[in-house]
Amino acid sequence: MRDKKEKKQTNEGRHKDGNLRMRPLPNLFRKVSRRVRGANSPGPVLLIVGLIVALIMTIPIVYVMVQSLFAGTDRWMRLLDERIPGLLWNTLSLTLVVTFLAVVIGVALAWFVVRTDLPGGKVWRWLLALPLVVPPYVGAVAYIIVLGPSGWISSLWDRIGVFGEYQFDIYNFWGVSFVLVMFTYPYVYLIASASLKRMNRNFEEVARSQNMSTNRIFWTINLPFLRPAIGAGAILIALYVLSDFGAIAMMRYVTFTAAIYFQTAGFDTEAASVLSLVLILITVIILWVEGFSKKKSDYHQTSNTFKAPIQLSLGKWKPLVVLFVLSVFTLSVLVPFTVLIYWSFIGIQMGALDSRFFGFVWNSFRLSGTAALMCMLLAIPVVYLKTRYPSIVSSFIDRLSYAGYALPGVIVALGFVFIFNNHLPALYNTFFVLVLAFIVRFLPQAMQSANASLSLVSPRVDEAARSLGYPPWKVLIKVIIPSILPGVLAGGALVFVSSIKELPATLMLRPPGFDTLAVRVYFEATEGIYHLAAPAALLIIIVSVLPLHILLRKY
Amino acid sequence: MKRYFQGLLFMILFSALFVLAACSPEEAEGPADGSAEDEASEESDELVIYSARNERFVEELIDKFTEDTGIQVSALHGVDPLQVEAEANNVQADIFISNDLGALGYLHGEGYLEGSEPEGIDAIPEQFRSGDNAYFAVSARARGFIYNKEMISEEDLPHSMEDLFDDEWADLPNGYAITRGGNGGMIGNVSALRHEWGDERASEWINAIQDNAAGIYEGHGDIRRAVGAGEHSFGLVNNYYYHQQLLEPSDNDVGFIYPDQEEDEMGAIANAAGIGNVSGGPNDQNAIVFIEWLLEPENQKQFVGESLELLINSDIEADYPEEVQEHIVDFEDLKIQDMTITDLGEHFEGTKELIEESGLDLELR
Repeated sequence: MRDKKEKKQTNEGRHKDGNLRMRPLPNLFRKVSRRVRGANSPGPVLLIVGLIVALIMTIPIVYVMVQSLFAGTDRWMRLLDERIPGLLWNTLSLTLVVTFLAVVIGVALAWFVVRTDLPGGKVWRWLLALPLVVPPYVGAVAYIIVLGPSGWISSLWDRIGVFGEYQFDIYNFWGVSFVLVMFTYPYVYLIASASLKRMNRNFEEVARSQNMSTNRIFWTINLPFLRPAIGAGAILIALYVLSDFGAIAMMRYVTFTAAIYFQTAGFDTEAASVLSLVLILITVIILWVEGFSKKKSDYHQTSNTFKAPIQLSLGKWKPLVVLFVLSVFTLSVLVPFTVLIYWSFIGIQMGALDSRFFGFVWNSFRLSGTAALMCMLLAIPVVYLKTRYPSIVSSFIDRLSYAGYALPGVIVALGFVFIFNNHLPALYNTFFVLVLAFIVRFLPQAMQSANASLSLVSPRVDEAARSLGYPPWKVLIKVIIPSILPGVLAGGALVFVSSIKELPATLMLRPPGFDTLAVRVYFEATEGIYHLAAPAALLIIIVSVLPLHILLRKY
Repeated sequence: MKRYFQGLLFMILFSALFVLAACSPEEAEGPADGSAEDEASEESDELVIYSARNERFVEELIDKFTEDTGIQVSALHGVDPLQVEAEANNVQADIFISNDLGALGYLHGEGYLEGSEPEGIDAIPEQFRSGDNAYFAVSARARGFIYNKEMISEEDLPHSMEDLFDDEWADLPNGYAITRGGNGGMIGNVSALRHEWGDERASEWINAIQDNAAGIYEGHGDIRRAVGAGEHSFGLVNNYYYHQQLLEPSDNDVGFIYPDQEEDEMGAIANAAGIGNVSGGPNDQNAIVFIEWLLEPENQKQFVGESLELLINSDIEADYPEEVQEHIVDFEDLKIQDMTITDLGEHFEGTKELIEESGLDLELR
């Protein structure tokens, strides 16, 4: 076995040297096609499925980019002049502020929970991850009810009457930032927690033996080790802020994503595609910065002498830290849950759970269920192709599949509006298009999950099955799928939850008469009909709680 | 992370190739086009309604229609009129309900609406329907200022659209509120001003309110609530939002100014809500059924419903709650700006451009 490999390597080495020229031509072709398709071919069935997936994943975005280039110089100049600078400022300032605050809060919480003797230690671990299940637009609704100009605090304020007029305004930059931070910090918190738990005690002990203070150790040792975790968390949050529509629109703020939505809703698709191109560029730059800075600082831990980190005593800081943790928990979990439960209660008393409501529930579940099922089905061949038959083609397919995930949903939706309205009218405004958009958005979630499971199954199993005469696709169905099913189902659950929460693409692509829970939350809340918004929002949260343990296990 | 990045890089390469190779976007068209044509308008029990009107009002109207006729309605709310235009080769809607006759006029002018001779059309005065009845108004509204009586007295308020040029309104306690420029009511408002003053002055007016307003909202419902709650001294809305605020259990101490009512002034800017019959819709016959059903007096009243607008046909008295009835100013008694509905349609596109130039269409505050 090993000999063969070495031989192959030397062959390839010679290839580079140009010795190959002397070989007969047919051999060359075989060689090249082998390099492209991988050493052993996966067979046409799997390859075609994979290619179709990759095509579906990329077409909407490519289409938007191409459209934007044909928008015409006039259009571009006008937008560059009047619109883009303001939107750039709005978008970038919000992204920066939210990312920074969420990183600070997330890392601080992770540090307190993992490394210190915070009272109630273990319980906090998952309590503080709980805001993950609250979609930010639902959080925004809750805070509009509480802090809004006609909200609870405002009426309390007026009743007390001694402070004069209620002046607090949440419909501004800081209001949006606050809501986004409160419901996105768990990304950083979870990643930082995981990385803190894996941190080796030895380094700290060395530092301590050099008489360094805890404070200094944090900055010189812990923080550099946390750097990749912080980077990964920050990028998730930045990408989220760039793509959020619901919370931002409800708080009356306009970023690129919101502008693209409004332009598309007004069917000014040219302007929408131009703005989309700029948003794509911003996303690429952020990803590039992350990749670049990661390369620069590589830290390694030795695993053979691993010792679990010690718990630090909070000492006199205890009351302050407890207060901090409690207030974050109150603001991000207690307040929204209380508000939603209260209004759901009122709503149910007023008969909000009528047949109309259950129609929306059915729509939501049907759509999310179909999307989850399709993602599970499609993820398996793509992942199988990539891990078992690595080649340029299969990794190309794999990478393309991630593009729709990194980019805001409005862009994918805009692409589909274009494509189906102009070229595939029979499918335009149908359930099918929505499902397709969700696949583009959420397939990578199913892929990651399936990939994790598949990497635990030895390739020997495949080889055994192949040697008994099964073609690759049959091996996949008969042997592999049964053994990776739990992972695939977990991925499906994640897709389901993401789909239930999804707002902008649903708004842009839903057929007439097809409203989902998320769409209803958005409409009822913007109309100020909270008793109808709350039950739907609460149901979304309850559904999202179910697969939370999958997420928590991942980190 | 690295994966996303690589994915995106690939995409960009990919699309660069695509542009270089294919170049003209028209080329992509063609293959799938023919397939949708064979949907002949057979007898169906469905109707697709696009609506730009507040969902709650339309929902009740639709429920009643389904109850009366058994025709199932699929409705899409919050639709921009340009969606009808964008779908012209792939018509989705049978009926378009609009809050802005200008939008209907525009669609008609571009040929996206089709005429008919529905029974009962005589109930609508001729100046409020197109010659071929492709679209017609059902209920009317006038623009004006809703104000909070506890915060400001009538004489301190602006009494004309022109008054809003004054920067003093920026210094008012809590200021005043307007809607985003993409709002249908605001578009009609600006169209009327362009008709009256010309583009330059209208554009200056947009800039003035954009600079001076304390709040810019997505819809008028937010404004009436905000003014009622004292968040703003006054707001630029349609008169029926004033009627709606009167009905609120609290925060209802509001008044309303019909601007430009003096002898030498232009009169209040009026607009109307109505419906258009989309040309080539999938359920043609049911669209006619709907139109004839709507023209029945009882259903015209339902069209007004909770919106508390005024009916175009003053002979049919809409039902208003007691609290509102005493504040109703009949449509006939108002001095209304002299602009025919066809004019509104002609102004529609230019107005959108004018608003877009100012950036007000995307501004929220």
